[in-house]
Amino acid sequence: MTARNRRSTPRYLPLAAAATAATLALTACSSGSDGGGEPGSGGTVDPDEQITLTMYWWGNEDRADRYNEAIELFEEEYPNIDVQANYSAWDDYWPARATEAAGSSLPDVFQMDLAYLSQYGGRNQLVDLTPYLGGELDATGMPEELLDSGRVGDGLYAIPQSTNTLAMFSNPELIEELGVEAPTADMTWSDYAQWAAEAAGAGADADPALYGAYDFTGVFWLFIQYMVQNGNEVFTDDGELAFTEDDVLEWLSLASDLRAEGQVWPPDRAAQFDPLDGFSAQEVATSGTWDNFLAMYYADTGLDELDILPIPTVEGNDARGLFQKPSMLLSAGQNTEHPEAAAALINFITNDAEAGAIFGTSRGVPATESARSEMDVSGTDEQVITFEEEMADEITEPVPTLPEGFGTIEAAWLRLSETLAYGEITEDEFVQQWFAEAESALP
Amino acid sequence: MTTDTRLGAAADTGKRPHQGSRTRAEARAGYVFLLPWLVGFFVLTVGPMLASLYLSFTDYDLFGAPEFIGADNYKDLFADPRFRKSAQVTGLYVVLGVPIKLAAALGVAMLLNAKRKGLGFYRSAFYAPSLVAASVSIAIVWRAMFIDDGAVDRALQVFGIHLGGWVGNTSMIMPMFILLAVWAFGAPMVIFLAGLKQVPGELYEAADMDGAGRWRKFVNITLPMLSPVIFFNLLMDTIGSFQVFGSAFIISSGTGGPADASLFYTLYLYIKGFSEFRMGYASAMAWVLVVVVGLLTLVFFRTSKFWVHYAGEE
Repeated sequence: MTARNRRSTPRYLPLAAAATAATLALTACSSGSDGGGEPGSGGTVDPDEQITLTMYWWGNEDRADRYNEAIELFEEEYPNIDVQANYSAWDDYWPARATEAAGSSLPDVFQMDLAYLSQYGGRNQLVDLTPYLGGELDATGMPEELLDSGRVGDGLYAIPQSTNTLAMFSNPELIEELGVEAPTADMTWSDYAQWAAEAAGAGADADPALYGAYDFTGVFWLFIQYMVQNGNEVFTDDGELAFTEDDVLEWLSLASDLRAEGQVWPPDRAAQFDPLDGFSAQEVATSGTWDNFLAMYYADTGLDELDILPIPTVEGNDARGLFQKPSMLLSAGQNTEHPEAAAALINFITNDAEAGAIFGTSRGVPATESARSEMDVSGTDEQVITFEEEMADEITEPVPTLPEGFGTIEAAWLRLSETLAYGEITEDEFVQQWFAEAESALP
Repeated sequence: MTTDTRLGAAADTGKRPHQGSRTRAEARAGYVFLLPWLVGFFVLTVGPMLASLYLSFTDYDLFGAPEFIGADNYKDLFADPRFRKSAQVTGLYVVLGVPIKLAAALGVAMLLNAKRKGLGFYRSAFYAPSLVAASVSIAIVWRAMFIDDGAVDRALQVFGIHLGGWVGNTSMIMPMFILLAVWAFGAPMVIFLAGLKQVPGELYEAADMDGAGRWRKFVNITLPMLSPVIFFNLLMDTIGSFQVFGSAFIISSGTGGPADASLFYTLYLYIKGFSEFRMGYASAMAWVLVVVVGLLTLVFFRTSKFWVHYAGEE
């Protein structure tokens, strides 16, 4: 082995990443403007043409089974269309879509989230579905405001499939084991924190230790809800933050004592169970999150009974100020060769009664009358729908418009919350670092 | 080498034109055969590299066109606390992981260099982990071993050590990654083993005559004779360690957690590029890494003449 041989050996693998970046640049998008158009001006599916559509969504296996079943029904109705479906977990889903967007190879139809809609819709990555309204796409079955959540500027870039509301789940079996009183619907946020402290005290000697709550201040959406409850604007129309550092500090301080006393689910447990949360792992008795999580929680815990409560209120204001977040939107990639067929597929999943029955409330409460019409309302679905019906009067606020870069600031919030839980930063540092990240992530 | 000699010979005999055209024809044929590789090299390696160099001076979010912003990405980099953290994490991993791994590899190679029964089996057994260590499944198994009440935790409890899970512990996650790296010492071990076979037995016999002990023989014969191999392994493993990604990605679910304690450089690069859509920034990070690894390699080569001993060189 001579020196000469060796010299040629080092290879720089990190460049693979750079290489990817570059390849993307070389093939960078040929994004033409769609031009919009009047409703009804879009083409319709030619029944004699063989069409293949690709479709992607995020979710677990349970969701995949439901989608596949619905797609089979679609293919029966449109024998000339073949749908090639695929799915991945949320975390892997977005990097893959971003890469495809750069290479103009987005799927024909794919699941979209509000957090990313302005990013994709505002950059000519999605088909404006307006021309297909009244044609292949029927959106008359859903409330106008809900449909509007799929708009960016003048274009309709995504069709909401369902709505979610924030809720507080509780695990009655675990609460009984802890021997504390169950949390109630009339709690304020500080009552809830106090209850969590009590529950953690009661569960300290169990092995593993049991807790009343995880650090709820780490959930960015709960903070948004808290801002809305306080009557504050969350994001300005230009996509900037409408709240201040003091607002965030106030929110974080709700759980200061819990963190200091070790009365929230510890971060090292959380890191080990990831992607399950403490509620799924049955070490935490309550969880404040989207109400469509119920089906997942039943599956993860294997329990027969879980309760849904409304989320706490702010001190001195009983109005809960809930909002419905449109979820699991469906979009068509700008590069699709068959926008009319994509519109037909979106239409089918959105409206078909049988498809609606297949999905139930697993994607949230279905957005259209027709999708709800044949739902077998029992079990989990019944519980979620009853909850939303009970909350109907409390759902008074519109969901805040999310700025471009929302996904990034939400992830930064979660990460800093973990760092805070480990005691590596203070609440002040949390605020300072998060605002610095938000500054570079938001337009 | 052969070409040089032939050209020299041709010049001497005065038959240059004829020989020259043959050489040119051969060279042409050579390049034709090389073409598939050359195309790949320029299209898939050099081109993208240059493009990424350009991208590193732009604001590029994968959606719109890249926008030239000068050296801003590089300025932002050095002001970014997470960048510093990722450089620290990776630096620590390289500085601790590489020497420990090489020491383990050399130690085992020396044990396996003896003449015993069943050595073939042991060699394969020790080499096997390095074949799978970078795989996704091993990262998942590793993760499961190092949680609360996992295999490692229980084994340590037998000895009265209560550490809990390493995965969620900000100060134990790095030792876990280093262990994973060390466990995969098979590749350098095989190379060490080959190197040990090359050390002439006479040297040890002579040393025995002079009454040298084991340690003396190791320091004065084995190490100098192995130095080219040590140099090679050191270089390759250092470069490889800077690029650790797969296991870090799986074990922390792509976050670099807990609390950024496993935020390896390439993982952060990935997060910036593909989760936060800052491909310009990610490209700048890639180039900083290229420069750092390149400089280190240069330092290794420059210093090698002081400690690397090639047999036959005097």
